[in-house]
Amino acid sequence: MIHSLFLINASGDIFLEKHWKSVVSRSVCDYFFEAQERASEPENVPPVIPTPHHYLISVLRHRIYFVAVIQSEVPPLFVIEFLHRVVDTFQDYFGVCTEAAIKDNVVVVYELLEEMLDNGFPLATESNILKELIKPPTILRTMVNTITGSTNVGEQLPTGQLSVVPWRRTGVKYTNNEAYFDVVEEIDAIIDKSGSTITAEIQGVIDACVKLTGMPDLTLSFMNPRLLDDVSFHPCVRFKRWEAERILSFIPPDGNFRLLSYHVSSQNLVAIPVYVKHNITFREGSSQGRFDLTLGPKQTMGKAVESVLVSSQLPRGVLNVNLNPSQGTYTFDPVTKLLSWDVGKINPQKLPSLKGSMSLQAGASKPDENPTFNIQFKIQQMAISGLKVNRLDMYGEKYKPFKGIKYMTKAGKFQVRT
Amino acid sequence: MPYLSGEDAVKELRRALSNPNVQSDPLRYRNTITKVIRVMSQGVDVSGLFPEMVKACATVDIVQKKLVYVFLCSYASLNPQLSLLVINTLRKDCQDANPMVRSLALRNMTNLRLPGLAEYVEQPLTVGLRDRAACVRRVAVLGWAKLHNLQPQAEIDAAVVNELYSLLRDSDPVVMVNCLRALEEILKDEGGVAINKNITHHLLNRLKECDVWGQCDVLRVLERYRPQTEGELFDILSLLDSCLTCAHPPVMAATLRLFLCLSAGLPSVCQSALERACGPLLAACGSNSREMRFTALAHVQLMMQSVPGLLGAHYKRFFCGYAEPAFIKQRKMQVLVELVNDENVSMLLDELKGYCTDVDPDTAQAAISAIGRIGRSYSDKCLDILTGLLGLRQEHITSAVVQTFRDLVWVCPQCSDVVCAALQGCEETLQDDQGRQALLWLLGVYGERVATAPYVLEGFIDGVRAEVSVSVKLELLAAALRLFLSRPAETQDMLGRLLHYCIEEERDMCVRDQALLYYRLLQCGPEQARRVVEARRSDPALGVLIGRPLQPIDAWAHGFNTLQPLSTAAATPDSSTRGILPKSKSFLSASAVEEGDFLCVVKLMPCQMLPVNSPQSLQAALQLVNIQTMAFTPPNALPWKVYLYTHTQPAPDSTSAECTLVLAELLYSSDTPDSSRITVKQKPRDSAALSGFLCILTAVLNTVSAECKL
Repeated sequence: MIHSLFLINASGDIFLEKHWKSVVSRSVCDYFFEAQERASEPENVPPVIPTPHHYLISVLRHRIYFVAVIQSEVPPLFVIEFLHRVVDTFQDYFGVCTEAAIKDNVVVVYELLEEMLDNGFPLATESNILKELIKPPTILRTMVNTITGSTNVGEQLPTGQLSVVPWRRTGVKYTNNEAYFDVVEEIDAIIDKSGSTITAEIQGVIDACVKLTGMPDLTLSFMNPRLLDDVSFHPCVRFKRWEAERILSFIPPDGNFRLLSYHVSSQNLVAIPVYVKHNITFREGSSQGRFDLTLGPKQTMGKAVESVLVSSQLPRGVLNVNLNPSQGTYTFDPVTKLLSWDVGKINPQKLPSLKGSMSLQAGASKPDENPTFNIQFKIQQMAISGLKVNRLDMYGEKYKPFKGIKYMTKAGKFQVRT
Repeated sequence: MPYLSGEDAVKELRRALSNPNVQSDPLRYRNTITKVIRVMSQGVDVSGLFPEMVKACATVDIVQKKLVYVFLCSYASLNPQLSLLVINTLRKDCQDANPMVRSLALRNMTNLRLPGLAEYVEQPLTVGLRDRAACVRRVAVLGWAKLHNLQPQAEIDAAVVNELYSLLRDSDPVVMVNCLRALEEILKDEGGVAINKNITHHLLNRLKECDVWGQCDVLRVLERYRPQTEGELFDILSLLDSCLTCAHPPVMAATLRLFLCLSAGLPSVCQSALERACGPLLAACGSNSREMRFTALAHVQLMMQSVPGLLGAHYKRFFCGYAEPAFIKQRKMQVLVELVNDENVSMLLDELKGYCTDVDPDTAQAAISAIGRIGRSYSDKCLDILTGLLGLRQEHITSAVVQTFRDLVWVCPQCSDVVCAALQGCEETLQDDQGRQALLWLLGVYGERVATAPYVLEGFIDGVRAEVSVSVKLELLAAALRLFLSRPAETQDMLGRLLHYCIEEERDMCVRDQALLYYRLLQCGPEQARRVVEARRSDPALGVLIGRPLQPIDAWAHGFNTLQPLSTAAATPDSSTRGILPKSKSFLSASAVEEGDFLCVVKLMPCQMLPVNSPQSLQAALQLVNIQTMAFTPPNALPWKVYLYTHTQPAPDSTSAECTLVLAELLYSSDTPDSSRITVKQKPRDSAALSGFLCILTAVLNTVSAECKL
């Protein structure tokens, strides 16, 4: 399956390699470097590169290429998903997945890779199980380890593999029994010039943090379960029950896990929480352009839109801008032509705006396209799809747990064309 | 810290490793070993430290052990002698009380990859298969596969294979899946694991317990199983049904592949499987990971060869985001082109128009040629956009537009008027070879309709000395000759100059030969030259074939969920060249059709009136009964002709796999208004098929003409 893995940074250095079968020479990456040179942007390196004896399948995350070397025919989706899982695990362990973090924790990285694959086949990839095998480094633990000389390897075999419920270890004990659920939705949308929606879809997840004693059996029901399309569950959820009653019934893993992820497609109407009024004009022949942008909330059920950040790549002909934000700050990089405006919170009484002029290159013709705006925002206490949890019950244990549910909406790939 | 070169670093580390003070302090010892690993990961050759590291292996500290193993596994092949020392420590660890240590030792023993050590490894592996801890069994099972890889020619121990087969029923799902994986590798020469009914049902029942990776592997192995009865097949399919909508794309793809494999002979089952899997596949197309989106798109393209209508309603999901990488945008555009229909065409074209000004020239060109492809069915709207783009006067855009024009007029000659009008002034912005070649070709073929053609050519001919590209020169020669034939007075002088230059001064053989050929051709007289040069025009009487025949699902199913759809060139085959001949085993040339031993039948068919005014509806109707139209004359022209072909499927029960090919010409002329003449050629002779064909054709014609009258 997966023969070897190379980690390559943006400047084209291999800074880590791991071989699960025979050692593949580093020179195989030359094909990758060739493709990297040809690509204008780092993202443009094709994910699958055939070479005479191998295939290179790469994934770009956090400006690092994870390049898997494959010798025989494999399902590509399998390899890609696995590489993403590796990155997710690193991120989970080290907080960030940067070259520096990987180099600092090179020992843990090797241990993890060794546990995740054997002979090229995935072995242990569940974060719960991995964390019992190899404890993640924390500052405190690093200090304690340095002083006492103990290690970050679990001495015990993961008990989860011995219990009846493979994802939960036996004999869990807590003094405070709590179960928290975060409903997080990301809205991806493309809004056209006139403000009408071209596409909009919602990707949602429910992340859980469950710290309950014993073997609790939870059921979670929604007010409007029919909203969800393409639901994907954690293996603990009883699928039959969901199909029949639309109720999530499960024995949760211990700690943090993703209970389900779902998708609300454009078939349902998706509410767009912000609108943008814009007037960006370049006059033919003059070296000035007008810039006027106003943001406002809509369909937010009274909740505040926060952490708003607008960014845009202005046309190449723009030399500089002279703008005046009614709130927040803006920056413009004359080299990359990247405009970014940190708005903060939108006050519905006084809408934030950014107005002013752009100076264009003298003599250059009028830019032929208007910029596209990427907008990021957050709305607390609301799931934009309207998804609501009805109730959460626990069976199988006597105590009364503390329960909490939080909603949040974020912008994913939210674009406004002008 | 002073900069140390590779050698210095190794020397420094060796000193530290052999320092007794370091060795006695476990913490310092481990840190030094960490340093070795770090240097190793930077690509420095630290194999010289092997003896020191072997010593460090004998320790109780698990982390230190792990680190040393990482080192040993990378360099063992360079030091086979010394590795023998390690084996003892490892074998001792295999009897440790802690299952984790046991599995670690077992795994690294097999990872040393030294054929000489195989005899020492076999015994612990055999014991490992019966270990009570699942994690040791997992490692031991795969260990046998690794051992086999080391000595592929060695005899396979039948006892081990049997043991592995019995472990397929292990209580731990990972052991089960690893057994499958190991057996697949060990028994590769025999075609992998033997899959019988019992194993299949056992695997299916335990599928839910496996993790996603395991599920993928199990599903892949199951592809080899052939259900004995239809009832069993449907049992299996209904068990797998929930996996088909699984939100993990790898599992979904593997399940769909299995569905297509198992129900290869049942198109309706395949069709409904595709419909079910469509949702998750679309979700994967909108996934956060670019690589995932790319792969999903490639598979969507595969699916659309058979069921183009499936995703029609979701065309908006394939609109490009602004920050997406070029390879995704180009795939999405190819999908969009296939999804175009009467309702969404203007929306789609608006969208594609936006991509034409993309920063990345390749993406922009792909967008323009996508518009060109749509132009074959919706020429007016597309030509408007394309001519508008010329106004931007951007070099790469103009080049792409002119190339698209060239391709478009070849299949839709009716567009040529607009194209000729638009060509005015393009030559100023064109810089690259492809663009200029396209312009020259257009000027040559439609020279009489472009007023400025001679002047543009003159510019090219004046600059021919400075021209570096051979292909541009060749195209220039051809264009000049063609223009001379249509507008001799204006072109004669410059053609003379060009030929003179090419014959006397040109260094390139190809160009010189071409020029000489044209020169001699012209000596034979303009009429002769015209016959040779202009024969290659596309025939405007040939109707365009826009719809292409649907591929059967089996045609691509074997490539589904493999690397094949990803690595094939991004361009899909051209629809205009598709569907001319059925996929027969041997290619048919025109002369073979003319001269071959075809059975020829000419018949009059009673038919009130052919649907002369709506050939498209006739084409659609004929496609329903698997008769393909190759070409037809434009609507309302008399005499009206249509060319058809069809072929029979080889009957499943007959021994001969041969199928008969039928070619037909249907002629409707004003002389015989109540009937049309049909000429049929058939090979090999099969009178039952022929009469069936004629019967179906008559029925279709009568139905369609009855509709037309209403």
